[in-house]
Amino acid sequence: MSILQDFDYFKPTTIEFAIDLISNNKNATILAGGTDLIVNLKEGTATPEIVVDIKSLKDLKKIEFKDNCLIIGALVTFTDLLESVVIKEKFPLVWEVSKTVASVGIRNRATMVGNICSAVPCLDSGPLLCVYEADVNVRSSKGKRKIPIKDWFLGNKKTALKHGELVTHISIPFPNQKTGGCYVRLGRYCGEDLAQVNVALLAFANNAYRIAFGAVAPTPLRANKIESFLNGKKINDHLIEQAKELIPDEISPITDIRATKEYRMHMAKVMFERGIKTAVERLNGDGLEYGESLV
Amino acid sequence: MKKKITFLLNSETRSIEVESGDILLDVLRDKLGIKTPKIGCDMGDCGSCTVMLDGKTVKSCLVLALEVEGQEVTTLEGLMKDGMTPLQQTFHDFNSFQCGFCTPGMVLSATELINKNPKPNRKEIQEALSGNLCRCTGYIPIIEAVEDLIGKGKGEGKEKG
Amino acid sequence: MTNYKYIGKSAARVDGIAKISGAARFVDDLDFGPNLLFAAIVESSVAHAIIEKIDASEAEKMVGVVKVVTGKDFPYRFGLYMHDRYILAQDRVRFVGEQVAAVIARDPKTAKKAAKLVDVKYKELSPILNIEEALKEKSVLIHPELKDYTHVPWFFPKANTNVAHLRKVRKGDTNKAFQEADFVFEDTYTVPRYAHCAIEVHGAIGLFDHSGRLTVWTASQSPHTQRHLFAEALAPLGLSHKDVRVITPYVGGGFGGKAGVSMEILGAALATAVKGNPVKILWSRAQEFYNTYQRQGLTAKIKLSCKKDGTITAIQNNLFWDAGAYVEYGANVVNAAGLSATGPYRIPNIEINSYCIYTNLPPGGPYRGFGYSEFLFGLESQINEAAKKIKMDPVEFRKKNAIRSGDKLSYGASMNQSGLAEAIEKAAEAIEWGKDEKSNDPQKAIGKGFSLFWKAPAMPPNASSTAFLKFNEDASLNILVSGMEIGQGYQTVMAQIAAEVLTVPPEKIRIENPDTDRNPYEWQTVASHVTWGCGNAVKRAAEDAREQIFDLIERALDKDRDSLFLKDEMVMSKKEPGFKLPLKNFVIAGIGKDDGTFRGGPIVGRGMFMPEFASALSDPETSQGGKPNVHYTVGASAIKIEIDKETGKIKIPKVVLAVDVGKALNPDLIKGQVTGGLLQGIATVLYEDMRFDEKGKLLNPNFADYKIPTAMDIPDEIVSILVEVPQPDGPFGARGVGEHTMIPAAPIIANAVEDALGIRIKSMPITAEKIVLELKKQGLFEQTKEEYIDNK
Ligand code: FES
Ligand code: FES
Repeated sequence: MSILQDFDYFKPTTIEFAIDLISNNKNATILAGGTDLIVNLKEGTATPEIVVDIKSLKDLKKIEFKDNCLIIGALVTFTDLLESVVIKEKFPLVWEVSKTVASVGIRNRATMVGNICSAVPCLDSGPLLCVYEADVNVRSSKGKRKIPIKDWFLGNKKTALKHGELVTHISIPFPNQKTGGCYVRLGRYCGEDLAQVNVALLAFANNAYRIAFGAVAPTPLRANKIESFLNGKKINDHLIEQAKELIPDEISPITDIRATKEYRMHMAKVMFERGIKTAVERLNGDGLEYGESLV
Repeated sequence: MKKKITFLLNSETRSIEVESGDILLDVLRDKLGIKTPKIGCDMGDCGSCTVMLDGKTVKSCLVLALEVEGQEVTTLEGLMKDGMTPLQQTFHDFNSFQCGFCTPGMVLSATELINKNPKPNRKEIQEALSGNLCRCTGYIPIIEAVEDLIGKGKGEGKEKG
Repeated sequence: MTNYKYIGKSAARVDGIAKISGAARFVDDLDFGPNLLFAAIVESSVAHAIIEKIDASEAEKMVGVVKVVTGKDFPYRFGLYMHDRYILAQDRVRFVGEQVAAVIARDPKTAKKAAKLVDVKYKELSPILNIEEALKEKSVLIHPELKDYTHVPWFFPKANTNVAHLRKVRKGDTNKAFQEADFVFEDTYTVPRYAHCAIEVHGAIGLFDHSGRLTVWTASQSPHTQRHLFAEALAPLGLSHKDVRVITPYVGGGFGGKAGVSMEILGAALATAVKGNPVKILWSRAQEFYNTYQRQGLTAKIKLSCKKDGTITAIQNNLFWDAGAYVEYGANVVNAAGLSATGPYRIPNIEINSYCIYTNLPPGGPYRGFGYSEFLFGLESQINEAAKKIKMDPVEFRKKNAIRSGDKLSYGASMNQSGLAEAIEKAAEAIEWGKDEKSNDPQKAIGKGFSLFWKAPAMPPNASSTAFLKFNEDASLNILVSGMEIGQGYQTVMAQIAAEVLTVPPEKIRIENPDTDRNPYEWQTVASHVTWGCGNAVKRAAEDAREQIFDLIERALDKDRDSLFLKDEMVMSKKEPGFKLPLKNFVIAGIGKDDGTFRGGPIVGRGMFMPEFASALSDPETSQGGKPNVHYTVGASAIKIEIDKETGKIKIPKVVLAVDVGKALNPDLIKGQVTGGLLQGIATVLYEDMRFDEKGKLLNPNFADYKIPTAMDIPDEIVSILVEVPQPDGPFGARGVGEHTMIPAAPIIANAVEDALGIRIKSMPITAEKIVLELKKQGLFEQTKEEYIDNK
C-alpha cells in the first residue's frame, strides 16, 4: 500500500545539508532504517512534509571503540552490531540485546538510534543504554550537544531531541572494571514480539549493580532503590528476595492488550531474579552464554 | 513528487519513475512485474514481501522505492538465473510448503542464512526464519530441509515420484 | 492387501515446482492492464447503528474517482445457508468495520483518500457484544426481520430474538440418568474468537463486460459456490449462472476463511457498477481480521454423569455461540457442532442445545475444525476431570467410553467403522502414557494430556463433486476438477488416484486451478471432504476412461474385453501375453484399421459423486431420523509439556496425533497436515485470541498483537500416526483429515496443564500469564516458590 500523504524526499550527502533541511522545515522527519517510520507513514500517524533519508551520510555508519568509549553511529543497524567483533567481545550485553530485536529482515534495516528516537515504552535499547549510562550525541546548526540517556526519554514516544537536531551517534563508556551483564525480555512467545517487560542488568566486580527496566513505565527507568540496596553486597538468594520486594516501588506497569499489570509486576520480579543471578555468574566467568533466553 | 530511480534488479539495471510515497514492494509488483514478493501484512510483520537489498534480506513493504537508488535488489526471480538453487530443490523434496505463499520470502531468508553461516544449528535456523510467517506447514519441514541441505539432516532426503 | 503403485506413496506435489519456483500465481499477482480500477471501502466506525445519511459529494469531486456506490445500489440479501447478509450495509450497520460504501477510483491511493471523505451519519443503537446481552428478554434485535429470511430447511431461527438457529438433540432421558448417576460433573468452558490468518489476504477482481458477462477472479476455496451466490445475489440485474464465471488461481492458504462468499461479493457487485472496467478489491491485513469470517466464540455449559465403574451415562451440553452480525455460514457451524457435541463417545442419554446467537461483532463462519475444536475443549477437559475424580486413568476412561463401529450416534444413525481403539493405543504408547516424568529443574513441571477427537464433513446432503479427465496425444492427462489446491495437496492426491486407475504416472498428469466455465462442478473445498468426495469423482472419471478404452479395444481389435487390463500406460490382455498396446498410440488418434479408417477418438472420462444416502431432515425437537453426516474421521492425540512454574511458559517436547485416515493416499502430505494443523491448533491455545474493546472494535487486527507462531514456536517433536481402517465408500478407502489435526490441540494442553500443576483452566487461550495468575489465585504460587527455595 502506498503512503497516502505526499511528501518531499531528500537524501543529503553531507550532515550540514541534512541539518539544514530539518532546521528549515517545521515538519521534517529523519529516515534511517524506516522500520518504524514507514509503518507510521502508512498508518498516517506520521505526516511529514519532507523526509530526510540520511543513509548517504557514511560517517554515521560506524561502530568505533576508542578512548574507552564505544560509538554507535546513527546508521548502525542491529545486524551491524551483531556482526561486530568489538561488540561481541567488549559489549556482549549490547550484542545480547541486539539479538532479541525483531527478526533478521528488520535487524538488517533497523538502527539503534532509530530505536531510541521512536521512544516507545517497550523499546529494547532503552534499558541497555540506561545501565551503560550512555550519551546521545546530537548536532544542529548551533553545534553539538550530548544528552545523558537519563535525560533523553521524556515520555511515551517523547525524547529530548529538539527541532533542527539530528542524532549522530550514541556513545557508551566502557565500564572501568569487569562487568557481567544480562538482558531479559518478556514476549508472548519465542518469536518476534514487543517486549511486555524488559530488564537490563550490569553487575560490576566491586559489587555495584546497575538495573534498568522497560515497558513498565512510559520510559525506561533505572531501579535506583534496588541499586543502592544491593550496592557493595554480594548477591545471594536472601538478598534477591529482599530486593524483589522493592520492585513495586520502582515500576508502575499498566494493563494493556499484551499483558496485565499484575503479570508484568510478577514477571519483573522473576526476570530481575534470573537476570541478576546470570549477570553475576557471567561476571564470574560462567553462567549461560550471552544470547540465551531466560524466560 | 515524482523522481526517477535507477537500481540493479536481479542483475539488470532498471530505471523507473516513482512517487515519494511509493513502496518498493508495490513498485516491484505493479510496475516492474516482479510478483514473487507477496503482500501479506504490509506492515513488516510477516516476511512474505522479503527481498534482498545489497545481499541482505529486508521487508520490501517497509522500504520506499526511492531508497533503493543505486542499490541492488534481488528477488526469487533473480536467485534462479541458473535454474532452481539447491536450496529450492531441497525445499521441494521436503514438502517445505503447502499453499506456497510464504515460500519466496522463506527461500530468500534461508538463502541469506546459509550464505552467512554455512553450518547453522537448529536454533540458528529457527531464529533466521522467524521473521517469515507460514500458516500452513508448521515450519518443521522447512527447518528439516535446511538441515538436510547443510548436511545436518536425519538423512531422510526423499525419493519422490 | 492390494498392492498399489501410486496410492499410499509419497508422490511429489504436482504443484511443487510452480510454488517453489515462484511461478504460481495468486489472485493479486494477476495483471489486468491500465484499465484496472481499484475500490476502497468506507467502513462502519460503530458496532450497531442506523445509517441516517451518507454524503459522498466530496469524494465524488476528487479527480480519479470513478464512482461511489452505497447499499442503495444493491438492495439484495444473500448468503450460503441463510440469506441474512448484504453486499453493502442497507439502513443499518451491525459491526465495526462493516462495508457501508465503496469508492471506485483509477488508483488505490485515490480510492483510499476519497473513502476517507465519505461522510456517514449514524444513529447509534446499543451494541450487543456478548451472548448474555443478546439472550436477555428485552434485548435489542440485531435482525428484526429474522423471521422473513430464507434458509435451509434444517435451520430453526427463533423469530423476534437474537437466536438465528437452535439445534436440539435429544436421546434417552438425561434427567433420569443424572438422578441415578454415581457422579455428576458440571462446568462452563469458554473459547474466544480466532482468526484464520492465511498469509494471503482476500482479494477479488470483477469484470462485467458490455456483453453482460461477469467474470470474477478470487482467492477462494469455493469457486462454484461463489458463482452460485453471485448469480443469486445479482439475479435482479438479469444475470444467470451461465453469465457468471469465477476463476480461482492458487490460494495462499484458506483454513475455512476463503470458503463461501465474504468480501468477494464486492468484487462481483462493484464490477456491475463500472461496466467494461475490471475493478479490484484487496483486503488489508486489518480488514482480513475484522471483515472476513472469524471463528466464533463459544460458551459451553457441560453436565456429564457416570457410574462408579466409569461408564458415562448422560451428557447435557448447552453450547452458546457468539456468531456475530451475520450467520449465513456460521449457523451451520453451530448446527454441525450441535449434532456431534457428544464427542466420539457412546452416551445413552443426550441433551444438546446449540444456540446460534447474533451479536454486533464481525460475522462468524467456517474455520478449520468447524466448531469441533471449540466444543472439544470443554468436553475433553470435562472428561478428564471426571476420570480423575472417580480415580480412573483418563486414557482408560476414554477407552471404556469410546464410540465403536455400529453404535448409535446422538441422532440415531450408526457410527461408521473406525480405528479409534487403535489410535488411542498408539497415541498413548507414543507419549509413554503412565510413565511418570519429572524435570531435573525444580522450577519446571512436566505434564501429559490426552484427548480423543472426531469430525464429520458438515455439508448439505447433496454436496457433490465432478471430474473430467482428458487424455493428450502422449497419454499424459489433464484433469479438470473444481476443488481448490489450498496447500493441502489435493491436486497431487487427485493425480495419484487417476494414476492408479490408468497406470499413467502422476508426473504426467496436470491439474489446473478452476475456472467455473471450464471445470465441472464442485460444491466447495471445505469440510475435509474433497479427498473423499472429489476423489471418488476422479476415480470414477478414470474408470470411465478405462472402460471407454476397453470398449474401443474390443470393438476395434476384437479382443476379449474381460481379459483386458492396464499396466505401465499400456493395454494388455490376460489371455494374450504378447499384446501390449501403448495408450499414447490411440487415446487421441484412435485405432487405425487395415482399410485406412479409424475407430475411437479422444478419450474423455467423466465422473460424479454425490452421497445419495445423506439427509439433513430430522425431527427438529430431537434431531432423530436423519443422516446428516456421511462419516466421522476419528483419532486420539497426546502431548507432553514442560511448564516453567514461575513464568507460566509452556514448552512442548513432544506431541502425538493418531488419526484414522481410512487409507493414507499420500502419507507425506498427511504428515504435512498433522504438523501444520497441530501447530495452528496449539497456537489457539497458547497465544492467539481476538480482543475487542467495550464498543466492539477489534483491538488486535495485526500480527503485532495477534500472535501466530513463528519458526521458533514449534514443538520439539511431532509424531503423526496414521491408522488405516478403510472407509468403504471412499476412494481406495480414504477419508478426509485436513481439519482434524488441529481439533484436539486445546484439550490436550489443558489436560496436560492440569496434570502438571493441578489447575484447571476453563477458558482459552491458556497463556503463560493465565497460568501464573491462576497459580497465584489458588495460593499455589507462593507454595511452589517456597518449595523451590527449599529444594535449593
Ligand atoms: S508484507 Fe511485508 S512483512 Fe508482511
Ligand atoms: S506454505 Fe502456506 S503460508 Fe507457508
